[in-house]
Parts: sequence; C-alpha cells; structure tokens
Amino acid sequence: MITLNGIRNALWCAVAFGIIACASTPMPVEKLAVAKSSIDRAEQAQAAQFAQVELTSARNKFAAAQSAAEKHDAGAAARMADQADIDAQLAESTARAKQQEQLVTEMDAGLRDLRNETLRRDDSGAAPLTPTPATTPPRQ
Amino acid sequence: MQRTSICAAAVAATLLGLTGCETSPKADPLLEQARATVAQAEANPDVVKYASTELDRARKLLINAEASAKSKGAADKNTAHYAYLSTQMAHIAEQRAHEQSAVARIKAGETERQQILLSARESEADRAVAQARTAQSQAEQSQAESQRLAKELENLQASQTSRGIVLTLDDVLFDTGKAQLKSGAQRSLDQIAAFLNENPDRHVQIEGFTDSQGPNDYNLELSQSRADAVAAAIIQRGIDAQRVRALGYGEEFPVAANENPGSRQLNRRVEIIVSNGDKAIPGRTATGAP
Repeated sequence: MITLNGIRNALWCAVAFGIIACASTPMPVEKLAVAKSSIDRAEQAQAAQFAQVELTSARNKFAAAQSAAEKHDAGAAARMADQADIDAQLAESTARAKQQEQLVTEMDAGLRDLRNETLRRDDSGAAPLTPTPATTPPRQ
Repeated sequence: MQRTSICAAAVAATLLGLTGCETSPKADPLLEQARATVAQAEANPDVVKYASTELDRARKLLINAEASAKSKGAADKNTAHYAYLSTQMAHIAEQRAHEQSAVARIKAGETERQQILLSARESEADRAVAQARTAQSQAEQSQAESQRLAKELENLQASQTSRGIVLTLDDVLFDTGKAQLKSGAQRSLDQIAAFLNENPDRHVQIEGFTDSQGPNDYNLELSQSRADAVAAAIIQRGIDAQRVRALGYGEEFPVAANENPGSRQLNRRVEIIVSNGDKAIPGRTATGAP
C-alpha cells in the first residue's frame, strides 16, 4: 500500500509539474506557472529585442526556481519564481514602452515631413500662374 | 586654549551623535535602492497619472520589505526579496508610464496630422478658388482687350466687308516712287499686329495699288514692293509669315477716277484685308472695289 501510494504520488506530482520530483513540503507550482506565463508574455511583446537584460534575468531566475524546486527548497523556489515573474513583467513593460516610443519617433518624423510638404505647397501656391497643385492627398 | 578644546569636543560629540543617528537604521543596500526607486517613481507625474496601480503595488512591497527588516533584520532573505520586488515594481510603473504617455502623444499626433491635412486641404481649396478668379479675370481682360482692338481697327477707318475687315493705308506713308514705309504707319501696323496676335486664326492679305500715272509695269512693281514692305513690317511684329500675303495690283481697281491730283492720291494706297475668322480671303473681282 505504501509503495502503491508512493507511486501514485510520484505520478501525480510528475503530472502536476513535470520536472519537480515529489516532495514533502508543497512546491510553489502555481508561482512557477505564473512566472512561466509572464515570461511567455514578455517574449510575445518582443522583449528579446527590446528588453534583453530583463528577459534574460527572468529566464535565469526561472531556471533557478526550477532547480531549487528539484532540491526541495520550497522557500527559494518561491522567491526565485516571484523574482522571475516580476523580471518578466518588467521585460514586457519595457519592451512595450520602447516600441511605443519608437512609434512616437516615427510619428514625429512623419509630422515634420507633412508640415514641410504643406509649407512648400503653400509657397508654390503663392506664386502666380502656377498649375493647380496635385489633388492626391499626402501619404498616410 | 581650554575654550577651544571644549568647543572641539562639543563639535566632535555632535558629529558622533549625527553619525550615530544616521547609521542606526543601517539598511541593506537593496532596501535603500527600493526606497529610492519608489520615491523616484512617486515624484514622476506620469507615473502618478498613468501607473497608479503599479505604484501602489511597489509601495505595498516596500512596506513588506520594511516590516521584514524590522522584525527579521535587514540581512534577512525576505527583506532582500521584497526590496527587490518593490524596486522592480517601481521600474514597471515607470515603464508603464512611458508607454502610456507615448500612446497619448501618438493620439495627439494623429489629431495634429488630421489638422494639418485639413488646413492643407482648405488652403488648397482657397488656392483653387483664387486661381479660378484669376483665370476668370484674365479671360475677361483678354475679351475686353480684343474688343478694344476691334474698336481700334474701326478707328483706323477699317470697314467690315464680305472679304473681311479692310483697312486702307494712304500714300502719305510712302515717299513718291519709293516702297519704304514711313514712320506714320507704325501705329496702325502695331494695332494690326496686336489684333492678329489676339486672333491667331485670322490672316491678312496686303494689296498694293497706284494711280494711272507712269508705265503699267513700273506701277505693278511699285505696288507689289509697297505691299511687300507692309507685309514685312507685320511679320517683323511677330506674326507668322504663313498668315501674311502680299499682292501688287498696279493701277487696277481704282477707287477714284484718276482725273485730278486728289483722286489720284486716293488711288495710291495699300489695303490690308483681315480675314473673317479663319476663312480664306476671296480674290478681287473685275468689278473692283471691296
């Protein structure tokens, strides 16, 4: 019975969290899952490109949390998972901020071009007897 | 001397006291960093505006860190952990504020872009209206000008006939026996050239005549030379030679009887016929006068 229980336990634990072996103290399975999904979201937000330092830190801490869990150190696993989670959140928000700021830079350049274009057209329009200006609207 | 040493001692005691006070809550650098980062985020108006939730979380984590430092000491794992989380959360608040203020700028930029496009379209429309007005007034001007020219041709004693508008230059414009145009003809020729410029479909025929004095051949040649001189003068004023034709009729087609000097003078003439529109100018018939 005891061996059967042990096997069942082991199976259950393996299903619940593949890598973590069965342990006496409950492992922070949920925290690890949360950290993993934060890392996924950061990756989707192109953090690999825009927030590499933060994303790498999150990945490293996630790996540390996993290895702490393997060593049955629930406290360290929980802390590392929380830190991996917050590093991933920072990676995601940094990536989003940088992308928006890039859009602002592009928009500013576009506005500058547009202003120059309309100024130039106003100038040419002021001269007498110029042909009718093009009716096509400026590039979007 | 004694007073100085007392003074120095007092200063030293004060300094000691101060440093003592300062160093008493000797904090973990991570906790210090968390306090500074949260304070920095709080001082950023964009963070307060756009990331108050994240800022609140950072504050709560900092409270946790402070509580942990108080109960378990600054070196405790949990103190360092919460301090780290608080610092990162304050950074997240800042990044969130960056993102949201960028989004707001993009929104404002889009409004500005629409405004520029709108005013560009308006000024384009204004220009179109102005151009239309200019074109209209130019059309009116040129119409008025051609009416004026027609009037002037009338004033040159031109008469409308079936062949066209006929204008007669009399012999005072030439010296006797010469084909050289005198300066008195310039104004009339200017007006004819201007009229032809305004009416590019019209063309002219220049016809030279003499009185009956002198040999026929000589008169034919002289009348041709005079017609040629008038034609050359018109061409010189920028009219295409294709539109100008010169003919000498000699003593044919007299307009008076050649009986006395007065009537002979009337016969010594050059007639300029301006076509009606682009129609060909009909030739002279034996019956003579246009």
